[in-house]
Order: sequence, then structure tokens, then C-alpha cells
Amino acid sequence: RMEASCLELALEGERLCKAGDCRAGVSFFEAAVQVGTEDLRTLSAIYSQLGNAYFYLHEYAKALEYHHHDLTLARTIGDLLGEAKASGNLGNTLKVLGNFEEAIVCCQRHLDISRELNDKVGEARALYNLGNVYHSKGKNVASAGTHDPGELPDDVKNALQKAAKYYEENLTIVTELGDRAAQGRAFGNLGNTHYLLGNFRSAVLAHEQRLLIAKEFGDKSAERRAYSNLGNAYIFLGEFETAAEYYRRTLQLARQLKDRAVEAQACYSLGNTYTLLQDYEKAIDYHLKHLVIAQELHDKIGEGRACWSLGNAYTALGNHDQAIHFAERHLEISREVGDRSGELTARLNLSDLQMVLGLSYSTNNSMMAESHAVENSLNGGRPRGRRYSMENMELMKLTPEKVPNWN
Amino acid sequence: SQTLAGGQTAELQSKVVPSKQILHSGNMEMEPETMETKSVTDYFSKLHMGSLVYSCTSKRKNK
Repeated sequence: RMEASCLELALEGERLCKAGDCRAGVSFFEAAVQVGTEDLRTLSAIYSQLGNAYFYLHEYAKALEYHHHDLTLARTIGDLLGEAKASGNLGNTLKVLGNFEEAIVCCQRHLDISRELNDKVGEARALYNLGNVYHSKGKNVASAGTHDPGELPDDVKNALQKAAKYYEENLTIVTELGDRAAQGRAFGNLGNTHYLLGNFRSAVLAHEQRLLIAKEFGDKSAERRAYSNLGNAYIFLGEFETAAEYYRRTLQLARQLKDRAVEAQACYSLGNTYTLLQDYEKAIDYHLKHLVIAQELHDKIGEGRACWSLGNAYTALGNHDQAIHFAERHLEISREVGDRSGELTARLNLSDLQMVLGLSYSTNNSMMAESHAVENSLNGGRPRGRRYSMENMELMKLTPEKVPNWN
Repeated sequence: SQTLAGGQTAELQSKVVPSKQILHSGNMEMEPETMETKSVTDYFSKLHMGSLVYSCTSKRKNK
């Protein structure tokens, strides 16, 4: 019978997705849709799972399509709980696609229905999703804007404060429900929201809770995330030794989990932290480790960044040969990837180094020549001049993406 | 296309180290999303249970 066939295909799709093979699961679900069924509840479940499978496969346009089908169907058959779930999934998908306003409407619908049905679990989940949408919205606006560092525009601040409010509401409910896993997630994202708001002490408190719960569950990935986020917060509190300790733990776990990209990130963070501690030998050690992995992963941008960092660290140590080597490599890579500002930075670094070494440096970059002329008149032509201004620039960049105060 | 992962900003993306963070510490690590789930299995086991309960009670009633 046709009915049985659709069901069989869907059941196999479910089994495959549960086993972690979403790609194969999708094929079975799509085959089930092809066969079709008159049972609209079954069809709704198939659409929903197809949407989720595509979401996990990062195919968000497809995810959107199927969650939308599910929502329409749930409304048609008057399945209120089904509508709430579809709205939540649609909201999450719209968020990833950067459509925050519609995402908010959908997540709010999830929340309203859950409250109407007195479904505490659903209510908490909707609050978490809403927090995530506002967090993303705030982060997105912050990174797109061209405002001065140290000044958080009102719309960014509002969105992040709303995110914090939703995470806190979520925490109240999941604490009542005794759902430790959900508490862990909320603490993690609440911590990140405080971090963006510049409330670094509050961020630390939240991430410490996250860490505690990760350990309770033996969840190594969550533990690693918490260490990394704690490291970031301590950087902005100016407590570099503590930050280094957390990054070392991040690195240790990244190696345990055999995640090369995360390992590279941890090395990079450690390199930067030791630069702040002015321990350039260690900084170089970690930046070299980062460089090796970036090359291994064919990550040109990362490689360029490593070369830039290495150039600076070798300059600080007075090892000009190595500094020039990495500055040249940075210039090459910047050109290769079409990074104009990286290219200019590399040129400036090179000309600085050449001046320090007393070599004449010929350049065909008029912009650089101009900046030199200005600088020389300001600094009385001292070659050390820009070193100092570069350091100031680096400190400015230390503030998390356009976020105010240091503490 | 506009994806959250920086599609809008013309920033260069690194697989290893995210952009905008020259000499900045590290990247912020978010917790995973939670998706709502529906299941054909659940629905059918409920249906099945329903009919079993029904057949049991009706059998009992018949006795």
C-alpha cells in the first residue's frame, strides 16, 4: 500500500538522522514526500524533520522551505503544539539567514502558544531562541556599523540587553524544571552577551556556571567553549595570566578532541596573550604553531594573520631578519587574498623595518609615501615613531568588536 | 546571499581565526541552537498505544 510505503521511508529517514547521517536521512524523507500520504500529521512530522536535517546540513534555504510547509500544515489541521514547534524552527532558521525581524515574530509565536498551552518546557525553549535571535541581531548590527570603538550604538545595546533579559527568563524556568543542560546553554550565551555589552565580570560569572555544568555532564566540547570564553573575558579585564591559563586549558582540550581548527585558534589566542604579557619568545612559539595548522588547513587568511603576528613579535625581540621574512610573507598573502588593508599594513611594517636596518626602501605605493611624510613631520622623522602608534592601534583593537569600556 | 556567518560584511573569513580580531584574544563561542522535534515514530506509537488501550478497554467492556 502507498501509505505504508511513505511511512516506511519516513521511519528509515528518522532512523538515519538519529544515527547522525542527515544526508541519507534527507533522501528517505524526500522519497517519503514523493510517495505522499493523506495523513497530514505524518506529513507535518516529515516536513519538520526535513527542515531540521537541512538546518544541520547548513542548507538554510531548504530548511526554511520545509519549516514553512510544516507551519502551514500545522495551522491547517489546527495542531497548536505543532504550530508552536514549527514557528520556533522557522524562527531559528530565519535568524541564521539574518532575517531578524521575522525571526522575532516566529519565536514570539512559539512563546505565546507555549504560554497558552501552559507548556513550561516549550516556553523556556522559546525564550532561549528569542535570546539567541536578539544576540545575533545585536552582533550583526555591531559588526556592520562604522562607529567608533568604545561606543555601542543604541540599537546594538538594546538588542543585547533584550537577549540578556530573555536568557535570564529562560534560566528562571529551567532552574525550576531542574534542567541542567538547558541551564548550561543559557549561561554560556548569557556570558557571551555580557561580554559584548562590556560587562566582563558578569561574563566571567556566567561562564563559570557554564563550566561547572559542562563538567557535571562530562561534556568536553562545552568545557572547552567555557575555557575559551573565560580566556576572552579575562583579556578584557586586563588579567592576562589568568587568560593564558584558560587558553592553555582550551588548547589541551582541543588536542584531546582532535579539532585542528580550534587548536589553531587556541594557539593564536595564546600567542596574542603572551604578546600582551610581553613574553615574545612564547608568543612566537604559539604563533608558529598556529601558522603550521593554518597552512595544513589551507587557510590563507589565517596564515596571513600568523605572519603579521610573527613579524610583530620578531620586531619586538629585535630579530629583524625574521621580522622582514614574515612581513614579506604577510604582504604576499595579503595580495593573494586581495586584503587591501593587510597589504598596506605589511608595506608599512616592511618600510619600518627597512628604516630600522638603515636600508633604503623603494616603494611604488604613494599612499605609504604620504603617510610617511606626515609621520616624519610629526615624529621628527624618528623611525620608532610608528611603532608606538601601532601599539596604540593594537590596544584599540583589543576592545571586542566595537564594544565600550575595558572593564 | 545574507548569512549570519559574515555574508553581509565583506570581511575576509579565516577558517582558523575569525576576522576582525587582529591581536584580539579569541573568538566568542556560542552554545548550540535547540530545534523542536516531531517524529513519525512518536505519532504512530501514540496511535498504536491508543488503539491498544482502546481494544483492551473494549475487550474488558465486552466481558
